[in-house]
Amino acid sequence: MAKLTVEIVTPEKRILSVQADEAIVPGGEGLFGVRPGHTPFLSLVEPGTLTLIEAGRQDRYFVAGGFVEVSNDKVLVLADAAEHVTGIDVAGARRRMDEAQARLKDLNTADARYALEQAAVRREAARIRASETR
Amino acid sequence: MASLRDIRKRIRSVKNTRQITKAMKMVSAAKLRKAQDAILAARPYAQTLEQIISELAVRSADQELAHPLLATRPIRRVELLLLTSDRGLAGGFNSNVIRRANRYLYENSNLQVRVSTVGRKGNDFFRNRGHSIRKDFAGLYATLNYRSAANVAEELAAAFLNDEVDAVYVVYNEFVSAITQNVVVSQLLPLQPATAKAAATPTPETVAAAPALVDFKYEPSRQAVLDRLVPQAVNIKLYRALLESVASEQGARMSAMENATNNATDMISSYTLLYNRTRQAVITKELMEIVSGAEALK
Repeated sequence: MAKLTVEIVTPEKRILSVQADEAIVPGGEGLFGVRPGHTPFLSLVEPGTLTLIEAGRQDRYFVAGGFVEVSNDKVLVLADAAEHVTGIDVAGARRRMDEAQARLKDLNTADARYALEQAAVRREAARIRASETR
Repeated sequence: MASLRDIRKRIRSVKNTRQITKAMKMVSAAKLRKAQDAILAARPYAQTLEQIISELAVRSADQELAHPLLATRPIRRVELLLLTSDRGLAGGFNSNVIRRANRYLYENSNLQVRVSTVGRKGNDFFRNRGHSIRKDFAGLYATLNYRSAANVAEELAAAFLNDEVDAVYVVYNEFVSAITQNVVVSQLLPLQPATAKAAATPTPETVAAAPALVDFKYEPSRQAVLDRLVPQAVNIKLYRALLESVASEQGARMSAMENATNNATDMISSYTLLYNRTRQAVITKELMEIVSGAEALK
């Protein structure tokens, strides 16, 4: 049976390059699954958990937003940051989320930094959720 | 003629200097390896991003590749970003960048050029000559990662989008090899994807491939994806320029220190020769004095 090639790359390094039967990606409009033979697809990636299914076994990665390109049974994830769920520093994520939330309180919603901090809160929250799936 | 003691002192001091330059060379070699690894690590992301933009352009060649950061306008105001190092003793590394920037300023005196710097050396040079610096991105090297580079790129992009400047150029040392660096002036904004050109002038391969390619399905939409892709491409471009500059700096320092070490070795051997000659001359002189003294007593 045809397999998917899944790659996750971040600006600082290539995280992963493996074969899998199915990939479930947190897309711009919700989770979507990819199996071999998927139509060419280009989507935004939201902070969340990416699941790989290979021979019935699941493997999960946290991705911090970016893009995904699906073409010719190849899933290319370009993430701002990514890590295996077992590698997540939960305490650090919680601390960063709290700090971002504290800064949010002092900011006006019109402030340009508001959106940035809000994105940080969403990202860290997704990171913590991802860590809980391991 | 210098006394024996003077020469001995000189030899000792040159030996000390050689020790230092040798150590600096080794440190640079280690840092160079790390910097090269960082360049290699950044490559897959940059290439994949480039590839996605190119595929997007090819697959939907009927639609325009439109984004504010791709927009070219008549160039009247330019921002020039210099990537220099914080430290010296790196051969021509910094002076080459500065010389190139000065040439640019001279050749484009009809434009309004504002200068920004990364690295203390470039900043010092322009400040000491009373040239105004719009912004010095100080301390970037201490925490150089994708995020910190992206912050700089985003600030430059904001100036471009606010119509403060019509183009942004980066002057930096392109890393060719450990001993070769190449100063380039590269256009950061408006972004010129190699791919936009490829799409505009289809090559035989893209034409042959085109009928087979169906356009992507986009989520949420083609424009939304493009809106994120393009700024990302700008960020990664600057990030790579910074990484190359760091690697070039270490390469330049390594060869400068290598030369300095060799020069010190040459100096030591010529001083040692002089020292031995002088010593011989002193002995001869003393002998002659003794012999002629004895001769006079007869």
